[in-house]
Amino acid sequence: MRAPSRPKVEYRSAQREGPPVRSIRSGVSRYTLGLPLLLFAVLALAAPNFLAPQNLANISGQITALLIVTLGQLVVALVGGIDLSVGSVVSLASCLVATQSDPLWGITLALALGLVVGLVNGAGVTLAGIHPLIMTLATMTFLQGFAFLVLPIPGGQIAPELRQLVNGTLWAVPQPIWWCAVLALLVGVLLHRTRLGLHIFAVGANAHSAQLNGVRSVRVVMAAYVTCSLLAVVAGIYLASRVASGDPTMGASFSLESVTAVALGGVQLTGGVGSVLGVITGALSLGLINNGINLFGVSPFLRGAITGALLLAAVCVQRRRMVGL
Amino acid sequence: MTTISEPLAPSAHAPVPARWRRAARFVLSLPPAYVGTALLLLLAALLRPQLLSLFLLPLIARQAAPLGLAVIGQSLVMRGRSIDLSSGGVIVAVSYILTSGYFPVSDAGAMGLCLALGITVGVINGALIVKARASSMIVTLAMAMILLGIVIALSQFRAPGDAPEFLRELARFRVLGIPLPVLVWLAVLAPVALLLRTTVYGRYLDAVGANPRAAALSGIPYLRVIFVGHVASALISVLCGFILVGFVGKGSVTLGQDLALNSLAAAILGGVNFGSGKGGMLGPAVAAFMLTFLFNFLTSLGLGEPGRLMLQGAIIAAAALVYSLNKK
Repeated sequence: MRAPSRPKVEYRSAQREGPPVRSIRSGVSRYTLGLPLLLFAVLALAAPNFLAPQNLANISGQITALLIVTLGQLVVALVGGIDLSVGSVVSLASCLVATQSDPLWGITLALALGLVVGLVNGAGVTLAGIHPLIMTLATMTFLQGFAFLVLPIPGGQIAPELRQLVNGTLWAVPQPIWWCAVLALLVGVLLHRTRLGLHIFAVGANAHSAQLNGVRSVRVVMAAYVTCSLLAVVAGIYLASRVASGDPTMGASFSLESVTAVALGGVQLTGGVGSVLGVITGALSLGLINNGINLFGVSPFLRGAITGALLLAAVCVQRRRMVGL
Repeated sequence: MTTISEPLAPSAHAPVPARWRRAARFVLSLPPAYVGTALLLLLAALLRPQLLSLFLLPLIARQAAPLGLAVIGQSLVMRGRSIDLSSGGVIVAVSYILTSGYFPVSDAGAMGLCLALGITVGVINGALIVKARASSMIVTLAMAMILLGIVIALSQFRAPGDAPEFLRELARFRVLGIPLPVLVWLAVLAPVALLLRTTVYGRYLDAVGANPRAAALSGIPYLRVIFVGHVASALISVLCGFILVGFVGKGSVTLGQDLALNSLAAAILGGVNFGSGKGGMLGPAVAAFMLTFLFNFLTSLGLGEPGRLMLQGAIIAAAALVYSLNKK
């Protein structure tokens, strides 16, 4: 007697009230949009040197890495997964780039690593059916060890060409903003203008229905994890070039921070709901909070507490139908 | 999942008797913690026999006690399809209350404060998850961030000091050669396991895990079941904090930070998954011992930090892989 497979629980009532479908799928609400605007307004009014060009350039430099990682986390969250290994991937990519003498070879190596990590995570989650938290926790631990092996202590060399790519300005716009814009545009196009993007939303909303409609969900989920790891590699290369060295613990905080930013941006971790715009507001909010803490001279140690409180407030106003994860 | 219906191969030209194959299938269907522990003990007996001495084994068991306790709480919430990542924050807060001397109360009073904190955290977690329908992962993660942030900010003004004398004594104390923390672990484990088997709450938890919608429709107070799980989990984290503070003898802001993710790994390796409690309460307990033994074993092999982390990740992935492939 084979036990009948358990039907998936869905909390969708037949008659839906509330905002139209389009804004439901993006997850963007007045709270997600309002938070960064509110923070910006408060900082601009209360902190005199907030609007100084130097400070604005600083903020964009600090937010860029987080935003790139968060874009990857968004793609994985859309298929209903989560990737805790992004932090270790960022660290490892920075170590690889810093230890290779030829920058092109270093970048190739790092991107190949991202591809492999994404494939392993995706295969573990879809083919083997391991819970994404456990699968990516395992790769996170493994890769952290690998990063220590490649570069035990912070150091190494970054090629000057790479450093130019992140520090200067292009057409009077700071380079980090170009990185953000290009990558956000790429992910936006991937999600909204390609077949894969449509399939990602379909699998995240209801994997079973998507499968019945001919979507090859295994490939879609694999592609989502690969995209996420590759973006984490890009963030690692960016960060290493920015500080001009590699560091085996550089990205450790990104794993949880990217989940925080994703949640602040209205993305639902159960899948199918989220948008690039939301993720940008989420990463921007986190960055502005950090900047504000610096400018106001608040103890930087309270940063975690303030971010946590904000996160609680953000998830409480986004009431879901489901209870639990 | 039952696999009995699979047709048995004709034994005429099968050199392996069906009995053996059935045994292999049984072993594979067990939570990976049992097989993993057996393999690890075997490996240790071959490579590092001194780890299995009567002197070191109780010490390793003692070291496993905090993780063993944490995984009890984690299994309770996971069986109800929720998750608790706040234990690291609760433990740090407990260590600060006990060791900073910020609160002018006796040691017993400080412990009472810790319990009150545990209940508060559990109630807030539970209420936000059940009433506000917020994602339990985000809520408990945010709770850990808030508690850790407050403690770190406060320790600038008053650094954490020494642990209360009797907690340090308790951590060292032995009854019939068994360390007291291990007894505390068993004293929590046994009643919880028994209660889950015999009480209505245990049945409710199974029903909610199997199908929350059906449970709610059949009139089971399923929100309350999840709520109670979170309060219990937070209280157990406080207990972990007591034991860890006793071990270390000092307050610290890095105490127990890996416990949240390790307890998640231990629960899964012990056969508990989101919504299913197949491994019961024994599986996670064995898994907690297995992970602690593994950390010690890898250290004793003289592997540096890189090799230790890489093997640890590979083993967790391998165990999870064997288990899920077998369940399919």
